[in-house]
Amino acid sequence: MSVVGECLVAFIFGSVVGLLVQRSRFCNTAALRDAILFKTYRNTKALLVAMMILSVGIPLFITFDQGNPMSFDVGLNTMIGLFLFGIGMVFAGACTVSTWVKSAEGNIAAAWALLFTFVGMFLSSLIWTVSYWPPAPPSMTGQPNLEALQFGFANAATIQNNLGIPAVVFGLVQALVLFAIYRAIRRKEAARQATQTEGAAVARPKLAAGPAAAE
Amino acid sequence: MELFRKTLDPVIALSAIAVLDLFLFLLVGSWTVGGGETMMTGLMAKWILGDDIARIPFWSLMFVPDAGYWKIYISLGMFFGALVGAVVSKEFHLRIPRRLTEWVLATVGGLLMGIGIRLAFVCNVSTFFGLTPELNLGGYLAISGIIAGAWVGSRVYKKLLEV
Repeated sequence: MSVVGECLVAFIFGSVVGLLVQRSRFCNTAALRDAILFKTYRNTKALLVAMMILSVGIPLFITFDQGNPMSFDVGLNTMIGLFLFGIGMVFAGACTVSTWVKSAEGNIAAAWALLFTFVGMFLSSLIWTVSYWPPAPPSMTGQPNLEALQFGFANAATIQNNLGIPAVVFGLVQALVLFAIYRAIRRKEAARQATQTEGAAVARPKLAAGPAAAE
Repeated sequence: MELFRKTLDPVIALSAIAVLDLFLFLLVGSWTVGGGETMMTGLMAKWILGDDIARIPFWSLMFVPDAGYWKIYISLGMFFGALVGAVVSKEFHLRIPRRLTEWVLATVGGLLMGIGIRLAFVCNVSTFFGLTPELNLGGYLAISGIIAGAWVGSRVYKKLLEV
């Protein structure tokens, strides 16, 4: 595909995503933060469903050597980087998607956070060295490189090649694990709702009898 | 139009996005946002610094500023789509933070997100919608990191709200 074609596909995809995220008020930050702080799972459930669909779809394409998976080494930097990102997104109240979406709704705090995401990226670029750390091509060999805290590269395609089992099988297993988490959340919500309904039913006769009876 | 009058169920919205993401994966590549934002940073730095940017190895070896990088247009598209949604549904309002704490949190949060993306080479979108569905080892490392970070961030955030 030509460069213009790629950019056009990306823009159309982004536009639909932006519209759907804005209209649904989905937020990746809320999917984690609300589950941790408030034990509410509106966004978490949506995230899990999307991941279930992708966990079947993407490995299915990879099974038949189709699609364009990401290909680079990962290491301790992946975990530490996302740890910092996780703290940052909760502080900012928005992630990479919602900073754009909320900025488009006129949220100046989100636009400010986005501006400082750019600043953070620029500051990181100043300390980057081609020779060692944070990881750069010479330390990314495709194999574990513990000296550079790199674990190498492994994805659905390498698993399929090494084990001879179609990648989609592992994708289905992952989707089932995600579904189990989803179902556990639904059960938790149902139990909470039942407790609340029960509580309201107990409180109603007491209130009907008057405030003194409720005491 | 119903879409602009009522809030859409996020499960439906994210299911539709996941299906679209499959097409993006087939046609161009995995959905990420951090890569496009990095390239935008490079383009802005080039605009401000001019040719001096070539003295910073990252921008001459890793991410040579290029306006034709397709991932930039995902972010611009998200802004455009959200703007259309907000304006048509009359949900566009300028909201300026009133308290200093909000400005500080947005500043620190933004910086941590930018530094985190560059250190990890991935963002939250590539974690949940790219690496993990691709069964990439990095997806599981990134998910562990982001959940731990969100947990720590949530605890600190709660403490700050109580002050």
